[in-house]
Amino acid sequence: MTLAAVPALRPPEVREALIAYLLGVADDELIVGHRHSEWTGFAPDIESDVALSSIAQEEIGHARLLYERVAELAGGDPDALAYGRGPDAFRNAVLVERPNGDWGFSITRMCLYDHADAVRLDALAGGDLTPLADLARTLRREERYHMIYGEQWLRRLARATDDSRSKVQAALDVAWPEAEALFAAVAGQDMLKEPGVLAVDPATQVQRWRDVMLPVLTDVGLRVPAGPKQAPVPDGRHGQHTEHLAALLEEMTSVWRSEPGARW
Amino acid sequence: MPAWSQLIGMTPAHASRIFAVFRQDTKNDAHVHVGDVHAVDAEMALVLAKEQFARRDPCVSLWVIPYSQIEASASDDADIFEHATDKSYRFGGSYREQQRVMKPRRREGR
Repeated sequence: MTLAAVPALRPPEVREALIAYLLGVADDELIVGHRHSEWTGFAPDIESDVALSSIAQEEIGHARLLYERVAELAGGDPDALAYGRGPDAFRNAVLVERPNGDWGFSITRMCLYDHADAVRLDALAGGDLTPLADLARTLRREERYHMIYGEQWLRRLARATDDSRSKVQAALDVAWPEAEALFAAVAGQDMLKEPGVLAVDPATQVQRWRDVMLPVLTDVGLRVPAGPKQAPVPDGRHGQHTEHLAALLEEMTSVWRSEPGARW
Repeated sequence: MPAWSQLIGMTPAHASRIFAVFRQDTKNDAHVHVGDVHAVDAEMALVLAKEQFARRDPCVSLWVIPYSQIEASASDDADIFEHATDKSYRFGGSYREQQRVMKPRRREGR
């Protein structure tokens, strides 16, 4: 059964909220996947080169599955969703659009992101909407490795040398508040609670994520930035982005835009 | 008894960071050496090996072992594996039952 035929999703406001929510998750996966793919050929060793390329393919594959669900609800073409929109129409959190920077930042972001993604998928997998719950369970199988990979690298970088430790601490100071913003609600997200699509509210999800992350970080002697944030994090879930997203899309979509609608 | 890493000219520091990876395709197979990964410890070696050696081929289990832990027979000692007298009685190839077991495998080109 396609999502469009699900009775619980007939009210237009519920449908719109679900479209916005799935688009946010799909955009996160596509953009973080693209960032990982930028390490192909440049990672610190050949093992990580292969691993990052492989993880990138998986994230982009997940984005594809999610765009297909969005297209079931909203109409349109999954490829056009991925490649045919401008930066203002993207709903990813700004954490994933940040340039890779050094290896320490990429690994720190990956660790925070994939642990957050796991919490998010768990919430979706526990919902009453079978097609979405099944999808979340499928994605979760691959995400488990991403989570282990990011965490094991982070643990080693944090403990290796003063230099590597200070780099991941600096990365964490930047990435932590932006990672929290992964849980920022989309417009109308609370309407997904009643039909059982997404029974876990954002505050509970953030808490679950912190409960998993904090022991990992304190175990390796990293500290979570506290106190007032320097600048508010742009709300990617409502289309606010940094200039980095436009640059990323310019490159990522150049082939698609050269011949829209072409079959490759 | 020399260390394998010495025989192939690896420094001890290098040998402790190169891990031999053994993959088991199904539960009925032995773990087979399929290649190596660089890693700072065994746990990380397993994480990396999963993506290097199990992303395409079937796999149910991986082992990793640092080269520094592999002891080897000396390469100039190859004589020790040669038989000086006829030992064909050890092969048992003339048993009918064994031929029955071995034949289909040979046909598969193993």
